[in-house]
Amino acid sequence: MGREKAAKEALNLLRGRLCDPTFVFKPLSDSPESNYSKLKFIISSSVTEACNNSILLLGPRGSGKIAVLELVLKDLLLEYPDMISVIRLSGLLHSDDNCAFKEIARQLCVEHDLLFSKMASFDDNSQFMIAMLRECGLAHKTIIFVLNEFDLFAQGKQRVLYSLLDAMQSITSQAVVIGVSCRLDADQLLEKRVRSRFSHRKLMFLPPSKEDLERLLGHILSLPLDSTLPHDYAVEFNAKLQNMLADEKFKQTIYTYMNSDATVNHLLRFLFRAVSYMDLGSGFLALENFKTALPNIQRQPKLECITDCSILELYILVCMKRLEVKEQNSYNFNSVMTEYKRIHDTFQTSDYYARNVCLRAFEHLQQRELICFTDNRGHNQSVEFRPVKLLISSYELQQGLKSYRSCPVILLKLMDREA
Amino acid sequence: MGKEESPRITRRTTRSSCSTPVANNVVETMKTSDESLTTNDLVFGEDPITLDDLLSSFPSRRAQILELVRLLGPSNSPMLPLFIYGGPSTGKTSIILQTFRHLNRSFVYSSCLTCYSPRILFESILNQLMLHRKNAMNGYSSVKRCEKPADFVNFLREALSNVINNLMGNSGKLNTKRLVGQAHGNTVYLIFDNLELVRAWDKSSTILPFLFNLYDVLKMPELGLIFVSNTSPDTYYSSMGYIEPVPVYFPDYTEDDLRQIFMRNQANRKVYSSFLDVVLRPFCRITRRVDELSTAFAPLFAKYCEPLSDLGVVPREELKRRLFSHLQPHIASSLNEVFKISSQPSPEAESNKEMKQKGSRRRFAGCEEIDELDFHMSTSAKYLLISAFLASRNPATLDASLFDSMGGFDNRKRKRKSSQKSLEQKETAEQELLMKGPGTFPLERLLAIFQCITSVAEGSIDEEEQENEGLGVQRGDGGLMSDVLLQLSSLCNANFIIKGGSCPLEGSTRYRSTVSEEMVLKVARSLKFPLSKYLYRR
Repeated sequence: MGREKAAKEALNLLRGRLCDPTFVFKPLSDSPESNYSKLKFIISSSVTEACNNSILLLGPRGSGKIAVLELVLKDLLLEYPDMISVIRLSGLLHSDDNCAFKEIARQLCVEHDLLFSKMASFDDNSQFMIAMLRECGLAHKTIIFVLNEFDLFAQGKQRVLYSLLDAMQSITSQAVVIGVSCRLDADQLLEKRVRSRFSHRKLMFLPPSKEDLERLLGHILSLPLDSTLPHDYAVEFNAKLQNMLADEKFKQTIYTYMNSDATVNHLLRFLFRAVSYMDLGSGFLALENFKTALPNIQRQPKLECITDCSILELYILVCMKRLEVKEQNSYNFNSVMTEYKRIHDTFQTSDYYARNVCLRAFEHLQQRELICFTDNRGHNQSVEFRPVKLLISSYELQQGLKSYRSCPVILLKLMDREA
Repeated sequence: MGKEESPRITRRTTRSSCSTPVANNVVETMKTSDESLTTNDLVFGEDPITLDDLLSSFPSRRAQILELVRLLGPSNSPMLPLFIYGGPSTGKTSIILQTFRHLNRSFVYSSCLTCYSPRILFESILNQLMLHRKNAMNGYSSVKRCEKPADFVNFLREALSNVINNLMGNSGKLNTKRLVGQAHGNTVYLIFDNLELVRAWDKSSTILPFLFNLYDVLKMPELGLIFVSNTSPDTYYSSMGYIEPVPVYFPDYTEDDLRQIFMRNQANRKVYSSFLDVVLRPFCRITRRVDELSTAFAPLFAKYCEPLSDLGVVPREELKRRLFSHLQPHIASSLNEVFKISSQPSPEAESNKEMKQKGSRRRFAGCEEIDELDFHMSTSAKYLLISAFLASRNPATLDASLFDSMGGFDNRKRKRKSSQKSLEQKETAEQELLMKGPGTFPLERLLAIFQCITSVAEGSIDEEEQENEGLGVQRGDGGLMSDVLLQLSSLCNANFIIKGGSCPLEGSTRYRSTVSEEMVLKVARSLKFPLSKYLYRR
């Protein structure tokens, strides 16, 4: 009983860690070469030297840009408690200029205990921001602007970026603009007037190396010995974990998974799944947990869709494939039906159904997104006449037919003939 | 059936929860509107069920339910966003809701089907979180007006932290004794159903990445996000890119699963099982969706039971065979029907239909052809339908030769030797016809053809014309025109003729006939109108 409770607590702890990126990226940030150290140096120097700065953090989605930045900001806020205020914007939310200035004004008001007016206009808000920048500069206080999804701010007139960077040209202000983006060409998106005011400092975030990965796994999955967890349980858990981490089969599983995408967040998703499979009875992670998690997280949606189809729907797919092989440049439901009839006439299949039944099957396929209309506009035309296309390759279709439990032999034959 | 009609007002019902027996246990009394809501209203609102009940109420969904429970984890444990997907009527929504009933945790359910725009979606979530109910007192307004994701995030953060603090306070207070209906844990889950519809929204390119990134934006470990979608995660890929949620797949039911599902709640299991032996396999070749199959099975089962005098009987081999031979003629015809609405027919019509179906049984492979029209239509409407069909099918350039004073087109003239080239041409022309669908025509052309064919019909069949005099088939005068326009608009309403967009050159409205050739042939036959004479064959 005590064991189960401890296991539950351990599971909660592990899940909590996996959902908290700042915990995950902690061990990757201690070396002087790491992005953490570089970023911290740049920001702290501009805080202490009271200068303006701008920097871009670039890297694929899920490589921990924001997490590392949050770690840095947390440390700096501890180091210089009254000298920094952070304004966080996200391109997903504030790509609209009006919204962005409003949000900046709101956060500035919250930071400095001022009254925020919802009714303030675009002009009021932007002037308020510039005034605040000047005030903070005079008080030797640095404002750090974090622009997440930086590339989205570069849409449209880029008024936000321009006024931010332009305000930083004066010596009175004291601000750091940090852009975070997964587009490596984010600085190329900027207008000339914005680009000339930008510092072009860039930090690249790369997926972890194999050694880092192993260190990371140990860091995330091992239990702390100095917590409320029973000590002997934690020791035993960690010992088993070390055994498993050293296991060649385990490494193989992890590497096959990381082949498709090597970023840390991708790994976290997998670990989350595996950890949720942990057996609460024994309370230990086992290799089986990871092995069952692998096929469950690496899904093949198109193949699943095909195996979900009914036999009539498979017939329609094969008919469409045949039409494509015949190099008919566009076809619709009617031509599929003539092909269907032709197959029926030549091979005398047992599955020949009425047109409206086929039409329903056709619409099911469209719902499954195995096929789609080639044009978006022909809404006033009925379904039968709108040209369609297949959304799966012939290889996928063939695989799907092979894995289908009771696929009619004739369909397999027809597909083989095409290939 | 009577049970389900009782006034059962629970906060959440799904399509299939009406049929789950567990849902019928509790009849929650309606909350009066002046009663203020508490955080306890964020749970399912009925007595929690055990895991065994949950598993047994959804046959052959054991693996998915266990997986969901595992991924949701013990109470108070953080969770990465989940993405539940699978075809329609595979039990996604029901299972997630019943799972929350089992776990008894707080959640906010919103379907993108009913919340059809970002604003309605956001406001619905906020209303539920802020325990606000629209009523006459507040003029059916939402608690917050919120259209932009930016505002939504601020409101949501505020509302969530309030709710979570409340839940924490509750659980701290009630550690000694647990109240009934009290939520377990302080995690709040947001469920977004029918997510695939968001892709069709105006602002889908910003809303979808926003929803998928909501967890990272809010950074609250006490928040769980669950997306439910008909389509697989790969259909959401865009140039934006996003962190994929953890996928949970609900496959379509297999034939054996379907048998288990249909066997539930059957009065006479033996009879139904022998019925399923007969029908399930052929129907599964067409569709494996529970909803479609159940609509197809209901009338068939009634047919199957017809020879039985006592419904409680245990069928033996010989009886099964008799029932099978009784049902067999109906299977083939109902396989070829999408859905049939049976109007209550008079006994004579019933027997009539019986005979007809026997006749049509042999040729079920094609379209079911019944010589008579199964609806009534005035003669002038029939002529109008035919002329619309002709206008759609025939090229306009041939009108003059088709409808000359002689009436009719001389087919003999067109006979030519079919060389290889002309055969090819014919094939491409056929292809084109299949692709293009019926052509469009202006109103003037329709009226001209209508005039021509009615005048011909008058000449040939005088007697019928006498009868139909009142119906507006009169020699060109003003009365006819107004009548015809009326008929035309009613044909448009009945969807026999589609009113298309206006022609860019002429600026007049163009029409298009949607009726099939078989149907027009039937209409023509009922009028004894020589349709084939006027039809241009390519």
